[in-house]
Amino acid sequence: MKQWPLVVIGFLLIAGWPLVVHDVFLQRVGALVLLAAISASAWNLLGGYAGQVSVGHAVYFGAGAYASLGVYTELGWPPIAGAPVGVLVSMGISALVGTPTFRLRGHYFSMATIAAAELFRILAANWPLLGAAVGLMGPPVPRSVADLSFISPIPYHYLFLAVLVVLLGLTWLMQRSRMGYYLAAIRGGDRAARSLGVPVLRYKLYALLLSAGFTSIAGSLYAVMVGFIDPDSALGILISVKMLIVAALGGAGTLFGPLVGAIILIPLEETTNAMFGGGGSGITFIVYGAIILLVARFQPGGVAAFWAVVTDRVSAGRRAPAVPGSSRVS
Amino acid sequence: MFLEARGIVKAFGAFRAVDGADLDVAEGEIVGLIGPNGAGKSTFFNCLSGDSEPTAGTIRFLGQGVTKGSPEAHARLGMARTFQMPVTFEDMTVVENVMVGAFLRHPHRAGAIRKAEQVLDFTGLAHLASSPARSLGTPGRKRLEIARALATEPRLLLLDEALAGLTPAEVRLAIELVRRIQGLGITIVIVEHIMEVILSLAERAVVFHQGKVIAQGAPRAVVDDPAVIAAYLGHHMKRVRM
Repeated sequence: MKQWPLVVIGFLLIAGWPLVVHDVFLQRVGALVLLAAISASAWNLLGGYAGQVSVGHAVYFGAGAYASLGVYTELGWPPIAGAPVGVLVSMGISALVGTPTFRLRGHYFSMATIAAAELFRILAANWPLLGAAVGLMGPPVPRSVADLSFISPIPYHYLFLAVLVVLLGLTWLMQRSRMGYYLAAIRGGDRAARSLGVPVLRYKLYALLLSAGFTSIAGSLYAVMVGFIDPDSALGILISVKMLIVAALGGAGTLFGPLVGAIILIPLEETTNAMFGGGGSGITFIVYGAIILLVARFQPGGVAAFWAVVTDRVSAGRRAPAVPGSSRVS
Repeated sequence: MFLEARGIVKAFGAFRAVDGADLDVAEGEIVGLIGPNGAGKSTFFNCLSGDSEPTAGTIRFLGQGVTKGSPEAHARLGMARTFQMPVTFEDMTVVENVMVGAFLRHPHRAGAIRKAEQVLDFTGLAHLASSPARSLGTPGRKRLEIARALATEPRLLLLDEALAGLTPAEVRLAIELVRRIQGLGITIVIVEHIMEVILSLAERAVVFHQGKVIAQGAPRAVVDDPAVIAAYLGHHMKRVRM
């Protein structure tokens, strides 16, 4: 692959970021970019590679977040110990939700995922075990390192980076294997895929299980870092929408698309939040809306497709010196 | 019998698109399904491939009952098909499209690539292997569909109007390809509008009309059958030779 040097440079920049910048706000933005990249990359497994656009992934994010702070409040365990619990719960929910909704196509599938997610949000908001409308708190003072409660964003940055590397590594392997081709075939068309022997329903479920599991891990990491969750911040529809937008902006169905989307969107969002304070959170919605419009209108493939067009032009330009009127020969 | 369909009925509400059709196919032959528009050929064809379940009747393939099997189960058993409107995987390259089919019998990437390259050579698409599939025109797409189906290593290939929309020169190339596929020992059932194709390709023609089989036999003899002429041209044209 000709893009490897670029990947290495990108990795070094991301890994070095918190050491290069000394401003805590910027360090925090770095960690949040990685967290958003994890959840959007997890969403991408189903929404991008398999083309099943879920707008309900907040369920799995919330399952991870609630499992983390749940094991702390109920059992006194360190919150991160709830991550595997969240993964199991998420996989259970995804099998339950996936089996009926995968029979739906296109927009109907997306709407069903919204409905399922809202159901769980309302459930959590009324269930005392999950703190009902108030939510759950993590340990106010770290009892040991295992609580992963740090003042500096730097440890989170490297924790998130490690998870992201594992996730993208697995995605890369998946993309090159039979499963990657089968998911792409499903995205291209159920009927043709089935005629070639692709067990469509089974592979959609595999993609959902993987996707839900990693989204849940992102939720656990979020809860561990922030130390407080409530139904809106862990299960709100905006969480699902954000994963979708981050992935679509960077390029859904590509390995690095979600990371690129997070690098663009999260600093923008954090800056507007910081500039306008609490009253500025409405700006986020406007930004999301504008991004949906721009991506849908000009480049449905996101930045990745834009990048492919640009590199094509550049290499075409190198091959044939520009002659007026002949630059678009293909 | 290699493929055996008995008393196939496919009803949509009160309308019976296929109304008690039988078909026997022996291993190694090329059978053409013909008939006027709306005769039920494509619906019958979809029942054979597992895309739609017949309302009544039974289908056996290689001695196994496949009346209710899913399309993917049919593919595993060795039945492959193409679609009237080619459904190309647009985001993939030509070779990747074929690899999707090849993965059925070759679970590992290297094996699937080898198989796909072999099929691309056979179908004359090798020079386009790394082109994006969306850059292909209609003839290329039809050929790619056939290549993809062949990559599943079928014993029976169902071609749904694989030659429609091609120019006469392209039709000749496609006929030559279908003959070579038969040469591999693959049995072929082809739905086709173009009479020339059936006459030059099929060893046996089966004529559908209003959901029933009204004639079958050698293509030459079938097109001279008064019942067939009447079905195509209407009753007052009975004397016209095709």
